[in-house]
Amino acid sequence: MSIVPKETVEVIAQSIGITNLLPEAALMLAPDVEYRVREIMQEAIKCMRHSKRTTLTASDVDGALNLRNVEPIYGFASGGPFRFRKAIGHRDLFYTDDREVDFKDVIEAPLPKAPLDTEIVCHWLAIEGVQPAIPENAPLEVIRAPAETKIHEQKDGPLIDVRLPVKHVLSRELQLYFQKIAELAMSKSNPPLYKEALVSLASDSGLHPLVPYFTNFIADEVSNGLNDFRLLFNLMHIVRSLLQNPHIHIEPYLHQLMPSVVTCLVSRKLGNRFADNHWELRDFAANLVSLICKRYGTVYITLQSRLTRTLVNALLDPKKALTQHYGAIQGLAALGHTVVRLLILSNLEPYLSLLEPELNAEKQKNQMKIYEAWRVYGALLRAAGLCIHGRLKIFPPLPSPSPSFLHKGKGKGKIISTDPHKRKLSVDSSENQSPQKRLITMDGPDGVHSQDQSGSAPMQVDNPVENDNPPQNSVQPSSSEQASDANESESRNGKVKESGRSRAITMKAILDQIWKDDLDSGRLLVKLHELYGDRILPFIPSTEMSVFL
Amino acid sequence: MDPEQINEFVVGYLKKKGFSSAAKDLESYHHQNNNGSSFTSVDYHNDPELTKLIRSFSQQEDDPTRYREGYSKLRSWAYNSLDLYKHELLRVMYPVFIHCYMDLVGKGHTQEARTFFNSFRKDHEMVHLRDLQKLEGVLSPSHLEEMEFARSLRKSKVNIKFCQYSYELLLQYLHSTVSTLMLGIINEHINFQVYSGQPTSSSDDIEAVTIVGSFQDTANHINQKEIQWGLLEDSLEDRLEKTGGLLSDSEKGQGESKDGDADDSKKRSTEIGKQGSSLKKLKKDKAGNATAKVARLETITVSPAPRVKPELALPVMSTDVEQSILEDLRNRVQLSSVAMPSVSFYTFVNTHNGLNCSSISHDGSLVAGGFSDSSIKVWDMAKIGQAGSGALQAENDSSDQSIRPNGRRSYTLLLGHSGPVYSATFSPPGDFVLSSSADTTIRLWSTKLNANLVCYKGHNYPVWDAQFSPFGHYFASCSHDRTARIWSMDRIQPLRIMAGHLSDVDCVQWHPNCNYIATGSSDKTVRLWDVQTGECVRIFIGHRSMVLSLAMSPDGRYMASGDEDGTIMMWDLSTARCITPLMGHNSCVWSLSYSGEGSLLASGSADCTVKLWDVTSSTKLTKAEEKNGNSNRLRSLRTFPTKSTPVHALRFSRRNLLFAAGAISKPAN
Repeated sequence: MSIVPKETVEVIAQSIGITNLLPEAALMLAPDVEYRVREIMQEAIKCMRHSKRTTLTASDVDGALNLRNVEPIYGFASGGPFRFRKAIGHRDLFYTDDREVDFKDVIEAPLPKAPLDTEIVCHWLAIEGVQPAIPENAPLEVIRAPAETKIHEQKDGPLIDVRLPVKHVLSRELQLYFQKIAELAMSKSNPPLYKEALVSLASDSGLHPLVPYFTNFIADEVSNGLNDFRLLFNLMHIVRSLLQNPHIHIEPYLHQLMPSVVTCLVSRKLGNRFADNHWELRDFAANLVSLICKRYGTVYITLQSRLTRTLVNALLDPKKALTQHYGAIQGLAALGHTVVRLLILSNLEPYLSLLEPELNAEKQKNQMKIYEAWRVYGALLRAAGLCIHGRLKIFPPLPSPSPSFLHKGKGKGKIISTDPHKRKLSVDSSENQSPQKRLITMDGPDGVHSQDQSGSAPMQVDNPVENDNPPQNSVQPSSSEQASDANESESRNGKVKESGRSRAITMKAILDQIWKDDLDSGRLLVKLHELYGDRILPFIPSTEMSVFL
Repeated sequence: MDPEQINEFVVGYLKKKGFSSAAKDLESYHHQNNNGSSFTSVDYHNDPELTKLIRSFSQQEDDPTRYREGYSKLRSWAYNSLDLYKHELLRVMYPVFIHCYMDLVGKGHTQEARTFFNSFRKDHEMVHLRDLQKLEGVLSPSHLEEMEFARSLRKSKVNIKFCQYSYELLLQYLHSTVSTLMLGIINEHINFQVYSGQPTSSSDDIEAVTIVGSFQDTANHINQKEIQWGLLEDSLEDRLEKTGGLLSDSEKGQGESKDGDADDSKKRSTEIGKQGSSLKKLKKDKAGNATAKVARLETITVSPAPRVKPELALPVMSTDVEQSILEDLRNRVQLSSVAMPSVSFYTFVNTHNGLNCSSISHDGSLVAGGFSDSSIKVWDMAKIGQAGSGALQAENDSSDQSIRPNGRRSYTLLLGHSGPVYSATFSPPGDFVLSSSADTTIRLWSTKLNANLVCYKGHNYPVWDAQFSPFGHYFASCSHDRTARIWSMDRIQPLRIMAGHLSDVDCVQWHPNCNYIATGSSDKTVRLWDVQTGECVRIFIGHRSMVLSLAMSPDGRYMASGDEDGTIMMWDLSTARCITPLMGHNSCVWSLSYSGEGSLLASGSADCTVKLWDVTSSTKLTKAEEKNGNSNRLRSLRTFPTKSTPVHALRFSRRNLLFAAGAISKPAN
């Protein structure tokens, strides 16, 4: 009948003290209530329009009630929108979410800041029909320029296949800006000012028209100034700022920027002085590369594959200088551990054998060469280490007790059985924590402690258990693999039984996957250990390490 | 009408009246008789009285489902009709729909009415959404009586233009299917204007989709009246044309430099520089100014705007004011679709959602804002410009901003109203501010004394808008009480009351020759009123929602109106026809302004854009259109998006610099 159900009318009647409202009367009233509400809303919308707004507020409704000579409803004109909550158990019942406020808190709270007074700010929205690119104006659409060229092309038609040069108007201000930035980049003096300039580059809107000029500038200067270390560094900073600027749409210019960045990464020689820390520049460029790949890899599908191909070629060419190898390794490492695993670790053994003679002071007399070789070795170690670290890090946040237990061969059941127990205990304690804290102040630190445990990865909870069982830790990695292989199914069965049936199936799938991954990384770890010896160990998370050892 | 049908009616009637046994007898009798098939002895077809009677029975037969059946049949028939005639036939659907609904409500079948309404609502939502929202609330016969809109619908007939063949199609259908109910509704509420020839295209006829109350006929009648839309004789522009060519160059140069001094804000002075540069071009034009202008007028309007005598006693303009206006007119930049204006934007910050209206004086130096806390604030942009960077620094300080280092606010606060202020406008020379408020009063303030001078009481409900006449002294106001009133500054009683709108009068605008005012209303019409007689002389029908803004072209021939949906309509005042709707905004059009010579129209909207429209080409095209039919024209020239600032006010200065104002809607950071 009416969208206002008769129950609502009854509730309203009760709320104003009419208890003996007949159901028929309520039924008759309902359509009228709906009509009145609509009438009020119609007037409220008028008030809203005349207040030049597009959102209805409580004051508009008050205004509408005033128009109808009805007492406005006081206490709602607080400005902000209301938060309505659904009453639990009722489909269409809502109430405003009023929090209880403690008087003491209100009185003790510092006075809020006085609201700022109204001001007028004046700017040019357009100058002779053209919007100036100033921060006050909305950023110009990137699409507009191509649209104009399209019109040009259409005008020319298919008859002449000559593209008219697009008239590109660059305002005086922008020209000056570009000149200043270019000067600063070239001058290498006044670093604080240059820093400010970089911040401006990274945040200002309206710089978009300059992007092609900047890319051009960077490409030119990088190819010319390979000997000038400071300049290269400055240019890379500009690239980073441009990438950071949210108002700039840099994607179409990436193909121009990438060669410069990659040059700074894998060039044979960067800077001409001995003191130039070109390693740092290479690291910086590597970070840029990873940033670009992360941001635009999805849009620009060929980007990462092309980049990795370049880098791998640089790495695997024994004729290339060690500095180039270093850059390539850093670049690949910055692309994430999957890339490292696939491209570096697969080639690790032959490469290390190649590097071996260079490392040795007896065989290689040139001190510089040795230094470089160690640098490369360090980079390789870091890449491999981060890779293995990343892989091992996957496990802790998983809901199941770490499958690394499976390495341990014997006594698994025991550990697993203790583990959920422990976890449950810690969860319980964290749940009960607040009452505990209130009731028994003595218990305070304990509660906090248990919360700490439950808050962090379950791995940590396991720690004491492992320490309790020193014999297991001494199992050789290789044998552990075999042993766990053999015991895999059995252990899983045991596991399934112990964990609840509801979780059993998902658990099994997860365990399967993890087991496979874990096997891989276990092998990898072993291999790395063979190659690097103890140097790899710092990269391995402590618990994994304890397992490994 | 075939006998079976009649039998049915009779049986139904008997049953309803409680003669069930008689009905049964009759039924069985007919059954036998049908086998014999020799019943018809009376000529039913030629007896109109009888047909009518039967029809009334059929309506009395209180079966709400019949409406639904009849309507859905008609609907599917119309949708399946020939493409060429379809859109004409579909026009019938909406009136039939709402009247079916109101019939059902009127007979007390609220439940059925609701289901009927909801099941077919979708068909009409696109065009008639707002009407439907209004009607949706009508749930009992008393509401039908109470609601003005419903009442006027019930009383009135809808005019629908139909080509001959569509009309025949419709009649054929209604007769062949014997849908008496639909026929009844159509007869009762639709007035067919049948014309011979091919059906018109669907987009052309706007009136076809607008259902207004009873005044469709009266509107046509009113629109026959004669109006004098020409400019005043001996206007300043005329004088400029006469004297402009004679002025020596040195004098102009002097005027220019004087401007530089007078111009206080930095930005404005730079603008003047620009205007100065474009002035050279202007001077060239000036040489052949008189002929050029006449030529231009001819291209636009065929004949130059006629001159009319003022019907009001107009105030005498002081000579220095006149001089400055003449100076401005001389320095005006000629705008066209290739020469765009500069736009200076005043952004209100920290309004805390309280800014209801804003207004810019004719020279752009004063900006007024009306607030929901009853206050009016007036900024002198000239002073702010002088304070220059100091003001900006003060803004960056976290300390109290409202008090400047010299201990003063940056604006003048005008207090006096006791309700939200809905409009604030400047008199043409900028010495007075007129404000209207929800407290039903209009107040006059002096910007020189910063004090309230007069309080005009007369309206009974909130006053939505008040506007000074182009020559000052007189002003018009409009209100929720559905009237517009004309006042003069020296009397506290209104001079004229214009009544006639069916809903709130939301905006008002003066005609350049001061003899007419235009009002836009929530009843979706715009009316033009003669100021002298107080009569309505034009009704403009075509908007689909509340009219929010109005602007008159400087030559007095055209009017633009903007509505809640973002549609802007250009009207020809003499014919009261819409030249073309300008589509482009997607939210309320708060403000409209014509450029000084009427070639461009600027519109400001809640969608945070200022749009420029080329209105010369639109008027030209209408000439072409008369010859070669309708063509879809799009002439939005530019769109200037702001950074989330809805545009509340727009004003072309006399020199054709466009000022815009609005409150930023998101707090910065």
